[in-house]
Amino acid sequence: MRLDDLAIDNCLKCTLCNAACPVLAVHTQYPGPKRLGPELERLRREGISTDTEWVEYCLGCHRCDLACPHQVNVSEMIARAKAEHRKPLVRGLRDWWFARPGLLGRLTTILPALSNFALSIKPARFLMSKLMQITPQRKFPSYTRPNLRSPTIAGKESQRVVFFPGCFIRYNRPDLGRVVIDLLERNGLAVEVASTECCGVPAMANGDAAEARAVARTNVKALAHQVDSGLRIVTACSSCGHMLKTGFGGVLEDDEEFAGAAQKIAGRTYDLAELLVEQLDAGKLNINFQHTDLRLAYHAPCHQRSQGIGRPWYHLLRLIPGVTVEDMDAGCCGMSGTYGFKQEKYQVSMEIGKELFASIDAVQPQMVATECATCQMQIEHGTTFKAIHPAEILLQAYGEQKTGR
Amino acid sequence: MGTDRYDIVVVGAGLSGLVAAGVAAHRKLKVALVSTGPGSFVTGPGWLKAQEILRASAELELKEAIALFCKLTRLAGCPYAGDISTTRALPSILGDLESVALAPLTLWNAEPREGISTAIVGVRGLSCFDENFMAERLTEQAHLISSSCTYTARQISLTREMGIPVTTLRIAQCFDRDPTFREELINSLRTAASGFARILVPGILGLESSDEQIAEFERELGCTVGEITTLPPSIPGLRVYHRLESYLHKIGVEFYRGFPVEQVEIHNGLCTELRVACPGRPMNLHCQSAVLATGRRSVSPLGNEYAGRDQQMRPLTSTGSVMARNLFIAGSFPHSGEDHHGDVLHILTGYRAGNLAASTRGNHAAR
Repeated sequence: MRLDDLAIDNCLKCTLCNAACPVLAVHTQYPGPKRLGPELERLRREGISTDTEWVEYCLGCHRCDLACPHQVNVSEMIARAKAEHRKPLVRGLRDWWFARPGLLGRLTTILPALSNFALSIKPARFLMSKLMQITPQRKFPSYTRPNLRSPTIAGKESQRVVFFPGCFIRYNRPDLGRVVIDLLERNGLAVEVASTECCGVPAMANGDAAEARAVARTNVKALAHQVDSGLRIVTACSSCGHMLKTGFGGVLEDDEEFAGAAQKIAGRTYDLAELLVEQLDAGKLNINFQHTDLRLAYHAPCHQRSQGIGRPWYHLLRLIPGVTVEDMDAGCCGMSGTYGFKQEKYQVSMEIGKELFASIDAVQPQMVATECATCQMQIEHGTTFKAIHPAEILLQAYGEQKTGR
Repeated sequence: MGTDRYDIVVVGAGLSGLVAAGVAAHRKLKVALVSTGPGSFVTGPGWLKAQEILRASAELELKEAIALFCKLTRLAGCPYAGDISTTRALPSILGDLESVALAPLTLWNAEPREGISTAIVGVRGLSCFDENFMAERLTEQAHLISSSCTYTARQISLTREMGIPVTTLRIAQCFDRDPTFREELINSLRTAASGFARILVPGILGLESSDEQIAEFERELGCTVGEITTLPPSIPGLRVYHRLESYLHKIGVEFYRGFPVEQVEIHNGLCTELRVACPGRPMNLHCQSAVLATGRRSVSPLGNEYAGRDQQMRPLTSTGSVMARNLFIAGSFPHSGEDHHGDVLHILTGYRAGNLAASTRGNHAAR
């Protein structure tokens, strides 16, 4: 029996998970993590069918897990129930695509200009809303031909790291990938770009455990030898980082062939900021930042918080002279990757974000910094402020390159 | 100083951990607070009882500790009123009257008061709160302490869908997020309890609301509003936790939420770092001194060697030697021998540990 299987007995029904749940706070019908997690899990383990559509409404933000004083893996129980849940045809089809941003990226970037045009025009969005139940309220991010390559490694002395780019950087923002590589290189780290798949978070979030397992295996195969040769993995997306650090969300835990390697990868995965802070603490970070007059609001994505690494970006941004950073600490943004794109969940998603939007509005920053791409989309959708990855601000402060977009 | 280096690392966000972090932060030190969720204080009503034994043993220090706690809660927007040496009666979850020394303002508003007509207003469909039972019991209990205060039961129906059953948590969340809901609540309360000088409701007045926001609610309603605590999660208890947490965050305490400390590194009688069990690999927090306030029920990160604490709050082995000179044990803890003194003890030990940790750290810096 896995240790996690015993965690259910730690649930004392104290309801602190419910008090921390962003969905429960805005949706009066939602049963909440206590019920969907440990309570129904007891029945599920007895083989009693408790299938409910509500499991679809879990954001996967892990706030319940962090709030639990007894380390019950509440959201993992809900994720398992989500994988068992059967959806109606149209939503099932839509979520099949949402679970595969890698495939979507490869297809749309065959002819990126055409895809971007098709995804942006009103009739297409209307059709997607009618046929796929994708909300017409949101814009899709634009796609770019994937052209992120490993730079040629110059010095032999520099420490090498493997960059796990994730789908968003690979297919939408390869320029952000180059910002990451540039930042690492300026600080004594040589970078090679991993040939990996999607991290699997979208697959888990859309209840597709088989797909999550498939991409996790591919990724383990691609990363195992690099980790074995002592390299560290760096991510600039908090969701990818969360997935890699939790051994691919636990989907390979019972997999004899891959479980060990997945754990090793978990131990060697670093958030970009974590690595930069490590360089800072070792006195190796180039801190010759130019004076930059900038008032920032910082939003810590849920999957950054779930890594338990403190607030490295908040501290890094404050190293730039002239920059003031205010940590919003105003809960989940409500986007949760593909969740906010789903027509039936759009309202909930926006309602959750209200608290964060109001906090940002109150501060009136010049810009919002947050490392998650979909948090950025949500913030730009719900406020009038531009939201960018903090890595871009840091690189710009070195003074030789403008933040690109 | 590195980002993972702190003057003081406090482990545990119960009453003693929060107080210890507050003491250290007020002394302008760099403080980290590691916690796996709120402490057990939040499951209670949020009041403090007087403890005679404790008062006799450490009168001066206790006064200072309580004064600091009151200051912290005032600055955090959840002020406590009362006095450690006098007790007054407050309604409990079962409709009894309990002797209480200190409590948040909304709880004090529920105490028996002569000549004040009081309505206890329940919410239709709300689980775990029966206004009729509560009014009957409290009137009886008030007479027993020769108070002629009478409580009358009333009920309101909420105009919006709240799910089944309605919980205090849901109402409190609506209270926090939605000004229209607060307006609707005021209107229903006004209609249900017109003519009463005081309205008592179950604990529903927001998970995060400040004393000012509640005072505003009272002003709009036009009469005094008190809260009676309900089953966990206790909204008044959680509110104190949320307010204190966000105040400490504001004054620079760095929070590490969600993962337990799995090991305390001790070298040559000094605690040098704490290892937090994060996903992937542990996170090491380096410290000049540390406070452990993880409660009686958590697994102690000190392992089997730990057997109790000395007068200076330092951990001892079974042979009586000090495990680490810069490590302090606050609150209730396995083998602390003082498990039944409750919340006031937690404030006192949190205050003491915070101060000792701050001074110890000072000694190191001087060396």
